Order: sequence, then structure tokens, then C-alpha cells
Amino acid sequence: MDYVSPFDERRRTPEPLAPRPDELRGARVALLDINKRCGDQFLDRVEALLGDHGAHTFRLVKEIFSKPAGPEIIRRIADRGDLAVEGLAD
Amino acid sequence: MSDEVVTAAPEFELESVAGGAMRLSDLRSDGPVLVLFVAEECPTSALTLRRLGRLVPSLAAAGVTVAAVFEDPLEVAARTARRAGFAATLLAEPPPYDVSRAYELSSVPTTVLVGRDGNLIGRVVGWDAGALEELIEEACGAPVAVTQESPMRKPGCAAKSTYDAQTLRLLDAGSGQDELEEMFERGWTDGLPVIPPTRERVEAMLGGRDPAASLGEVPPGMGEATLERVAACAVLAGCRPDYFPVVLAAAEAALEPAFNLGGQAVTTQPVGQLVIVNGPVRDTIGLNGAMGALGPGWRANMTIGRAVRLLVSLTGGGFPGRLDRAALGQPGKVGVCVAEDEERSPWEPLHVERGFDREQSVVTLVACDAPLSISDHRSRSPEELAAVLGWAAAGAWSTNWWPLGTRSVFVICPEHAELFRKHRWDKRRLREAMFTAVRRPAGELRWGETTPHVERARDEEPVTKWTSPDDIVLIVAGGEAGRFSAVFGPCLGMNDEIISREVRWTT
Repeated sequence: MDYVSPFDERRRTPEPLAPRPDELRGARVALLDINKRCGDQFLDRVEALLGDHGAHTFRLVKEIFSKPAGPEIIRRIADRGDLAVEGLAD
Repeated sequence: MSDEVVTAAPEFELESVAGGAMRLSDLRSDGPVLVLFVAEECPTSALTLRRLGRLVPSLAAAGVTVAAVFEDPLEVAARTARRAGFAATLLAEPPPYDVSRAYELSSVPTTVLVGRDGNLIGRVVGWDAGALEELIEEACGAPVAVTQESPMRKPGCAAKSTYDAQTLRLLDAGSGQDELEEMFERGWTDGLPVIPPTRERVEAMLGGRDPAASLGEVPPGMGEATLERVAACAVLAGCRPDYFPVVLAAAEAALEPAFNLGGQAVTTQPVGQLVIVNGPVRDTIGLNGAMGALGPGWRANMTIGRAVRLLVSLTGGGFPGRLDRAALGQPGKVGVCVAEDEERSPWEPLHVERGFDREQSVVTLVACDAPLSISDHRSRSPEELAAVLGWAAAGAWSTNWWPLGTRSVFVICPEHAELFRKHRWDKRRLREAMFTAVRRPAGELRWGETTPHVERARDEEPVTKWTSPDDIVLIVAGGEAGRFSAVFGPCLGMNDEIISREVRWTT
């Protein structure tokens, strides 16, 4: 039977993962706060741990947790960071 | 087991799942043909299709064509082959199974090898791994390994051609009726039965619109909402073609970025998309805004709301338990569509409030949780009733979550609306009365899940449930008797807007 699929059957090519760093010392790590309660507490802990490993961190905040990060935030992470950590919340 | 005597394979012409008729002489034009006679209800046929199906590419590479002849209707043949992972030529033989008779089948599966010259080279009855390996080697001229998994041998089932006419009628009564089950297997469902989106039905739904035209990508999976896919969702949902303009307007509204469908589709909240319809289209397609307006019972209401949800969960990939992370969900996520009863309303209808003309047909989408019924058969003053209605939403989101930080949609039943009409209350006055009535001292709200506003406020400071009277959305719908209004639960944290789109009859 000839059916019309409701699915978008196009196969998307997965984005390849960026190369993993050998070490954290000296790495620039973006910490993305999604702007939801308690997310900052999680990132505070992550930031401290990264500092212990010699990484340099910088923080960014999304406009709202329920929408994708805007292109400007993504550009800033890409320009300034070697790595990124996104802090989910609740 | 090869036949010793050379005989000509009976010619046949059968309908193909791929479309059109196909003859044995077509199949053998490029080389030998392996014909598998099978039937859907025969487990050994399924075994044979599954196991020989794996060999189809090797056989094709060796110049051997593989075809399966089903003693079943086309759609059953297609489904059975798909389940078995058998991707080769699929033919369907109708009753009274003359081809099976011509090949003197006693049972299915029977695998027959026909040479390019049209002669029968051999046949294997049932599943017999060793005999099939020999037959295939003969076909290919080189060994091709047939799986040695158990069972190595399995008898088949009686071929339908061997039954009398009365028994055949009984058999056929059961076949071909699993089309609905197939929809579940394909995942084209919300858990309820759907209408299979055949090309004919989808074309009827499209009504001449360009099937490839796109409304954009549907979050969260960003599947493209071609009109054809939207129409497929509408068919699946059970819509009639005359509902499609409303479905399209609702889909356009849902895909408006300010609606933040992406956030709604993946949240752990139980949010669904409430579809409110205003204007003449309500009567044109039979949308209910009167008794039982929030359902069930009215096809247009039930199926339009469902089509929107199917678009999100299927085309958009926001299926519950996958990208849709709702902790509980709620029955309204199957779909909710309601017409406003503009004729019984003492006020301007929602679409007019939102800037449209009364004569325009408009669809408005609001992100909402489930509705909560509000009974009030005793209030005699509008002030009293306004307070009852407002306080019904006091626990919205969470007991102490004040102010709510988003809107509440109230569906006011005609009898409640009548009280406000009698006292000449307009919408603004009702909103302000509800807003003013529902307030509590911050000190009483400082436990459990509460808001930053309450955390900062002094104990005696009154906190309202809404930030502004404008957060109270009012529509009128419901039966003429029975003082039951309702308030929809909220959706929080989405920064979402209410979106309205005019219904267009052509695109």
C-alpha cells in the first residue's frame, strides 16, 4: 500500500565530535548557564573543579532556558573557548 | 530436491506491490528466478522470507532474480515482507489462487527455481536449509551459504489453493484487516488507532495544494512540515478534507518562533497546545462550542487538535518518552480544539480582541496544561462569581507559585456568562475583578515551591495570582444549562506568546 509518511525521512549526517583535549591545563572552558534555578550552583562547582585542573573558565548565560542558545552566544563560545560545559538545572 | 523431469514453468501475471502487473517472463528476462510462494499467516513462510531475504543482495549479484508470490492481498504482502526484512519483488495472488494451483502447491512456503529458458529447475517445499542451499547453488552456479541456524527444517502450512471455497472465504475474512495494526508498527500514532494515510486520502486532504510546499521545520526534531506531511497528520488524526485549512492555520501558528513550540515539545511539564477557533469556519465545518465543547464527541474538535499534536510528535519527533520528556503528560496532549460560542457570549470574541474582524475565521494557539472544571451554581452577584472563577486558578502550577508569571485561559460557560451580561460587565471588568480577588499575603506563601517575588516580599504584602489582569484570557463555550466553567492549567518558563492565524481557504 502506498502511504504518505508523516515523518521527515531525510537522513541527517551527524556532526562529528570535536577532538577531545589531552589535558585541561591551560584550556579555555566556556560555562553556559541556561538561566534556570540552581544551574549557577552546579556551574560554580564545575568551575572550581576545572580551576583545580588548571583550566581557565568564562561564563555565559542564555536568555531563557527553554529556547536554544542564540547565535551570538554560540559564536562567543566558539571564538573564546576550547571547551564548553552546559549546566542544566532544577 | 531438484525435479528430475524438465517441464515448463507455468506463466503467470500478478499484481506487484511496486505497482502494475508483472509476468514470470518479465522476471526471467535477465536470468534465473527464485519464486517463493508464501502466505502471511504461515510462520514457516515468515521464517523463509526472513532467512532468504538476507541472501537477496548476493543472489542479485549472481544474476538471480528473487520474487515472492503471496496468497494474500497486496497490502498484506507489503507489510509481511517489510516485517521480515524481505526486499525483493513482491506479487500478490488473489483467490481462487490459480497460479498456486498451476504450480501444484500443496503447502507454503514452496520455493521454485525457474531457469532463464522458462523451465522449472527445482523446488523446495517448506523450510529446508540444506535443500535450499543446493537449489540456490544451482541458480547462482556457485555456493551461497544458507543460514545453518536452527531450525534446519520446518514444514509449512497448507496452501490456500488447496482449500474449498467456503473455507477460503473464512480465511480471507481475516486477511488485510491489519492495516490499522501496521500504523502502530510504523509508529504513526499517538497510541490511539489512526486512519492510514493512503496517497489517495492525503491528496484529497491537500485539495490541490502543492504537497512539497513547506510551512517550515517542526521542533524539536526539526522535521520539515511539507504540506503533504501536514496532510498525512490530518488524515491520521481523522480529519475531513474541509478541516484542513484550520489545521494549516494551526500548524502555521504552532511554528511561529514566538510560540516556542520547541520548548513546549521537550519540557518535563505536561503542556499541550490548545486550539481555539473563531469566526464563520466554526459553522462551515461543524466545530462545537456548545454542549461538551471540550470533548469528546465532535469530530472536527477532536481531530483538528489531534492533527496538531501528531504534527509535533511525528513530523517534529516530539514523541512522549523520547524527545518529549513530560513527566506525566495529560489527556489534553492527544489534542484539544474548541470553538468559541460567539453567539452566546456577551463579549467580543477572542479573535476580535486580538485585532481581527468578526467575519474572519481565525485559529488561536495557546500553550496549556489540562483544564480544571469550576462548578458554581450559587453565586448571585458578578463579584461573587468572578472571585470563584479566579480562585479556581489559585493552585495553578503550584500552590504557592504566586504570581503565576503567565496567562490562564478561562472557558466561561453560557450560564456564568449570562450573569455578567445581566450586570453589564465587560471583559475588562471581569478580568480586573478576578485579578483583584485572588491575592494572599506573602507570608502565607513562603513554603514549598515559591517565586522569587514571594521570597523578596514582606510577610503582610499581598501577592496576586497574576502579574496583570491581561494574563486572564476569557472565551465563552459550553452547554446552555449547567454552571460549569473551566480554567486551563498554565505553561511556564517558555516566554511563549499566544499566536493567532487567519484561516485561508487556498494556499
